[in-house]
Amino acid sequence: MTVERIEFELKNDPAELDRLAEQLEEFGQRFSMERRCIFEMNLAVDELFTNIISYGFPDDKDHIVRVVLESDGHTVTITVEDDGAPFNPLTAKEPDLDMPLEETPVGGLGIHLCKNMMDNLKYCRCESKNVVTLTKKLDPKKT
Amino acid sequence: MEIIEKQEKDIRIFKLSGRLDSKTSLGFEEKIIGAIDDGSVKITVDFEELDYISSAGLRVLNKAAKRLRQNQGKIMLCCLKDYVREVFEIAGFDTFLPIVATLDEALQGF
Repeated sequence: MTVERIEFELKNDPAELDRLAEQLEEFGQRFSMERRCIFEMNLAVDELFTNIISYGFPDDKDHIVRVVLESDGHTVTITVEDDGAPFNPLTAKEPDLDMPLEETPVGGLGIHLCKNMMDNLKYCRCESKNVVTLTKKLDPKKT
Repeated sequence: MEIIEKQEKDIRIFKLSGRLDSKTSLGFEEKIIGAIDDGSVKITVDFEELDYISSAGLRVLNKAAKRLRQNQGKIMLCCLKDYVREVFEIAGFDTFLPIVATLDEALQGF
Protein backbone atom coordinates (compact mmCIF):
# COMPACT_ATOMS: atom_id res chain seq x y z
CA MET A 1 0.00 0.00 0.00
CA THR A 2 1.23 3.48 -0.77
CA VAL A 3 2.25 5.86 1.97
CA GLU A 4 -0.20 8.68 2.61
CA ARG A 5 0.75 11.90 4.31
CA ILE A 6 -1.34 14.89 5.43
CA GLU A 7 0.13 17.96 7.01
CA PHE A 8 -1.86 20.85 8.45
CA GLU A 9 -1.57 23.74 10.86
CA LEU A 10 -3.96 24.58 13.68
CA LYS A 11 -4.25 27.93 15.42
CA ASN A 12 -4.20 28.02 19.23
CA ASP A 13 -7.99 28.15 19.40
CA PRO A 14 -10.32 25.40 20.72
CA ALA A 15 -12.54 25.94 17.65
CA GLU A 16 -9.76 24.25 15.65
CA LEU A 17 -10.76 20.92 17.25
CA ASP A 18 -13.46 20.62 14.57
CA ARG A 19 -10.91 20.98 11.80
CA LEU A 20 -8.65 18.45 13.52
CA ALA A 21 -11.55 15.97 13.63
CA GLU A 22 -12.33 16.56 9.93
CA GLN A 23 -8.72 15.99 8.92
CA LEU A 24 -8.47 12.78 10.94
CA GLU A 25 -11.77 11.58 9.53
CA GLU A 26 -10.59 12.17 5.97
CA PHE A 27 -7.26 10.49 6.69
CA GLY A 28 -8.95 7.51 8.34
CA GLN A 29 -11.31 7.08 5.38
CA ARG A 30 -8.38 6.79 2.99
CA PHE A 31 -7.33 3.65 4.85
CA SER A 32 -10.90 2.50 5.55
CA MET A 33 -10.11 2.64 9.26
CA GLU A 34 -12.87 1.61 11.60
CA ARG A 35 -14.68 4.21 13.68
CA ARG A 36 -12.98 3.20 16.91
CA CYS A 37 -9.54 3.73 15.42
CA ILE A 38 -10.39 7.22 14.12
CA PHE A 39 -11.90 8.02 17.53
CA GLU A 40 -8.74 6.90 19.37
CA MET A 41 -6.42 8.92 17.11
CA ASN A 42 -8.71 11.92 17.50
CA LEU A 43 -8.73 11.67 21.28
CA ALA A 44 -4.94 11.31 21.48
CA VAL A 45 -4.26 14.41 19.35
CA ASP A 46 -7.12 16.39 20.93
CA GLU A 47 -5.68 15.90 24.42
CA LEU A 48 -2.20 16.97 23.31
CA PHE A 49 -3.55 19.97 21.38
CA THR A 50 -5.87 21.06 24.21
CA ASN A 51 -2.98 20.80 26.65
CA ILE A 52 -0.69 22.83 24.40
CA ILE A 53 -3.14 25.67 23.84
CA SER A 54 -4.21 25.72 27.51
CA TYR A 55 -0.74 25.81 29.09
CA GLY A 56 1.88 26.17 26.36
CA PHE A 57 1.37 29.79 25.34
CA PRO A 58 1.24 32.14 28.33
CA ASP A 59 1.83 35.18 26.07
CA ASP A 60 -1.75 35.25 24.67
CA LYS A 61 -0.40 35.68 21.13
CA ASP A 62 -1.36 33.68 18.05
CA HIS A 63 0.55 30.44 17.67
CA ILE A 64 0.56 27.52 15.27
CA VAL A 65 0.43 23.84 16.15
CA ARG A 66 1.60 21.71 13.24
CA VAL A 67 0.20 18.22 12.78
CA VAL A 68 1.48 15.55 10.38
CA LEU A 69 -0.42 12.31 9.77
CA GLU A 70 1.39 9.50 7.99
CA SER A 71 0.53 5.88 7.29
CA ASP A 72 1.57 2.97 5.13
CA GLY A 73 -1.59 1.04 5.96
CA HIS A 74 0.10 -0.90 8.78
CA THR A 75 1.13 1.83 11.20
CA VAL A 76 -0.03 5.40 11.72
CA THR A 77 2.48 8.02 12.81
CA ILE A 78 1.22 11.36 14.08
CA THR A 79 3.58 14.24 14.77
CA VAL A 80 2.43 17.26 16.80
CA GLU A 81 4.77 20.22 16.92
CA ASP A 82 4.46 23.53 18.80
CA ASP A 83 6.71 26.42 19.79
CA GLY A 84 5.24 26.73 23.29
CA ALA A 85 6.77 26.25 26.73
CA PRO A 86 8.76 23.02 27.06
CA PHE A 87 6.43 20.21 28.06
CA ASN A 88 7.29 16.54 28.07
CA PRO A 89 4.10 14.45 28.25
CA LEU A 90 6.17 11.39 29.19
CA THR A 91 7.10 12.94 32.51
CA ALA A 92 3.63 14.39 33.21
CA LYS A 93 2.23 13.12 36.50
CA GLU A 94 -0.17 10.22 36.03
CA PRO A 95 -3.50 10.61 37.81
CA ASP A 96 -4.11 8.30 40.75
CA LEU A 97 -7.16 6.41 39.53
CA ASP A 98 -7.77 4.84 42.93
CA MET A 99 -8.33 8.15 44.65
CA PRO A 100 -11.77 8.85 46.08
CA LEU A 101 -14.14 10.85 43.92
CA GLU A 102 -13.78 14.08 45.84
CA GLU A 103 -10.02 14.05 45.32
CA THR A 104 -9.88 13.07 41.67
CA PRO A 105 -7.33 15.45 40.19
CA VAL A 106 -8.07 17.33 36.99
CA GLY A 107 -4.50 17.52 35.68
CA GLY A 108 -2.79 14.61 33.99
CA LEU A 109 -5.97 12.92 32.86
CA GLY A 110 -5.75 14.10 29.24
CA ILE A 111 -2.19 12.87 28.82
CA HIS A 112 -3.13 9.58 30.50
CA LEU A 113 -5.87 9.11 27.88
CA CYS A 114 -3.54 10.14 25.05
CA LYS A 115 -0.95 7.51 26.01
CA ASN A 116 -3.61 4.82 26.28
CA MET A 117 -5.08 5.55 22.85
CA MET A 118 -1.77 4.99 21.07
CA ASP A 119 0.91 2.29 21.09
CA ASN A 120 3.86 4.59 21.52
CA LEU A 121 4.62 8.20 22.42
CA LYS A 122 7.97 9.92 21.92
CA TYR A 123 8.95 13.41 22.95
CA CYS A 124 11.74 15.66 21.73
CA ARG A 125 12.56 19.27 22.49
CA CYS A 126 14.16 20.23 19.19
CA GLU A 127 15.08 23.76 18.04
CA SER A 128 12.90 25.41 20.70
CA LYS A 129 9.93 23.27 19.76
CA ASN A 130 8.01 20.47 21.43
CA VAL A 131 7.79 17.55 19.04
CA VAL A 132 5.55 14.66 20.07
CA THR A 133 5.45 11.57 17.87
CA LEU A 134 2.60 9.13 18.36
CA THR A 135 2.41 5.76 16.68
CA LYS A 136 -0.40 3.25 16.42
CA LYS A 137 -0.50 -0.13 14.75
CA LEU A 138 -3.48 -0.75 12.55
CA ASP A 139 -5.26 -4.05 12.93
CA PRO A 140 -5.27 -5.56 9.43
CA LYS A 141 -8.46 -7.49 10.16
CA LYS A 142 -10.36 -4.44 11.24
CA THR A 143 -9.15 -1.76 8.81
CA MET B 1 -22.95 19.61 20.08
CA GLU B 2 -26.66 19.46 20.74
CA ILE B 3 -28.13 19.06 24.21
CA ILE B 4 -31.79 18.17 24.63
CA GLU B 5 -33.19 18.45 28.16
CA LYS B 6 -36.19 16.42 29.24
CA GLN B 7 -37.94 15.87 32.52
CA GLU B 8 -39.34 12.42 33.35
CA LYS B 9 -41.17 12.69 36.70
CA ASP B 10 -38.42 13.80 39.10
CA ILE B 11 -35.57 12.81 36.78
CA ARG B 12 -33.81 15.34 34.58
CA ILE B 13 -32.52 13.80 31.33
CA PHE B 14 -29.76 15.32 29.21
CA LYS B 15 -29.57 13.80 25.75
CA LEU B 16 -26.25 14.67 24.14
CA SER B 17 -25.41 14.46 20.46
CA GLY B 18 -22.23 15.21 18.58
CA ARG B 19 -18.93 15.92 20.28
CA LEU B 20 -18.19 16.70 23.92
CA ASP B 21 -14.71 18.24 23.95
CA SER B 22 -12.90 21.28 25.35
CA LYS B 23 -14.79 23.49 22.88
CA THR B 24 -18.27 22.31 23.80
CA SER B 25 -17.90 21.16 27.42
CA LEU B 26 -18.51 24.58 28.93
CA GLY B 27 -22.02 24.78 27.45
CA PHE B 28 -22.88 21.37 28.89
CA GLU B 29 -21.33 22.28 32.24
CA GLU B 30 -23.52 25.37 32.50
CA LYS B 31 -26.67 23.33 31.79
CA ILE B 32 -26.01 20.36 34.07
CA ILE B 33 -24.58 22.33 37.00
CA GLY B 34 -27.41 24.84 36.54
CA ALA B 35 -29.97 22.02 36.86
CA ILE B 36 -28.30 20.71 40.02
CA ASP B 37 -28.16 24.17 41.54
CA ASP B 38 -31.85 24.57 40.70
CA GLY B 39 -32.59 21.49 42.81
CA SER B 40 -32.38 18.47 40.49
CA VAL B 41 -31.01 15.50 42.44
CA LYS B 42 -31.73 12.73 39.91
CA ILE B 43 -29.90 13.20 36.63
CA THR B 44 -29.54 10.91 33.62
CA VAL B 45 -27.18 11.59 30.74
CA ASP B 46 -28.12 9.78 27.53
CA PHE B 47 -25.07 9.20 25.32
CA GLU B 48 -26.82 7.41 22.46
CA GLU B 49 -26.10 10.15 19.91
CA LEU B 50 -22.76 11.19 21.36
CA ASP B 51 -19.89 10.35 19.00
CA TYR B 52 -16.96 11.73 20.93
CA ILE B 53 -15.79 12.61 24.43
CA SER B 54 -12.46 13.94 25.72
CA SER B 55 -11.12 14.58 29.23
CA ALA B 56 -12.88 17.98 29.15
CA GLY B 57 -16.22 16.14 29.00
CA LEU B 58 -15.19 13.73 31.75
CA ARG B 59 -14.37 16.68 33.99
CA VAL B 60 -17.88 18.10 33.63
CA LEU B 61 -19.40 14.74 34.63
CA ASN B 62 -16.98 14.49 37.55
CA LYS B 63 -17.97 17.95 38.73
CA ALA B 64 -21.68 17.16 38.39
CA ALA B 65 -21.26 13.85 40.28
CA LYS B 66 -19.42 15.60 43.11
CA ARG B 67 -22.06 18.29 43.44
CA LEU B 68 -24.88 15.73 43.32
CA ARG B 69 -23.22 13.78 46.11
CA GLN B 70 -23.17 16.86 48.29
CA ASN B 71 -26.93 17.15 47.65
CA GLN B 72 -27.58 13.42 48.27
CA GLY B 73 -28.33 13.12 44.57
CA LYS B 74 -27.30 10.63 41.90
CA ILE B 75 -26.25 10.57 38.25
CA MET B 76 -26.80 7.70 35.79
CA LEU B 77 -25.20 7.41 32.35
CA CYS B 78 -26.69 5.30 29.57
CA CYS B 79 -26.37 4.17 25.95
CA LEU B 80 -22.62 4.71 25.54
CA LYS B 81 -20.89 3.57 22.35
CA ASP B 82 -18.26 0.96 23.23
CA TYR B 83 -15.31 3.23 22.44
CA VAL B 84 -16.86 6.09 24.45
CA ARG B 85 -17.35 3.73 27.39
CA GLU B 86 -13.71 2.70 27.11
CA VAL B 87 -12.64 6.29 27.79
CA PHE B 88 -14.52 6.15 31.12
CA GLU B 89 -12.80 2.86 31.93
CA ILE B 90 -9.30 4.07 31.06
CA ALA B 91 -9.88 7.20 33.16
CA GLY B 92 -11.21 5.08 36.03
CA PHE B 93 -14.44 7.08 35.98
CA ASP B 94 -16.59 3.95 35.61
CA THR B 95 -15.83 3.20 39.27
CA PHE B 96 -17.92 6.10 40.53
CA LEU B 97 -20.22 6.92 37.60
CA PRO B 98 -22.96 4.29 37.15
CA ILE B 99 -23.13 3.27 33.48
CA VAL B 100 -26.04 1.21 32.12
CA ALA B 101 -27.02 -0.03 28.67
CA THR B 102 -30.47 1.51 28.18
CA LEU B 103 -32.40 4.64 29.13
CA ASP B 104 -35.02 2.48 30.89
CA GLU B 105 -32.37 0.94 33.11
CA ALA B 106 -31.05 4.40 33.90
CA LEU B 107 -34.48 5.68 34.89
CA GLN B 108 -35.04 2.65 37.11
CA GLY B 109 -31.65 3.08 38.72
CA PHE B 110 -32.66 5.80 41.17
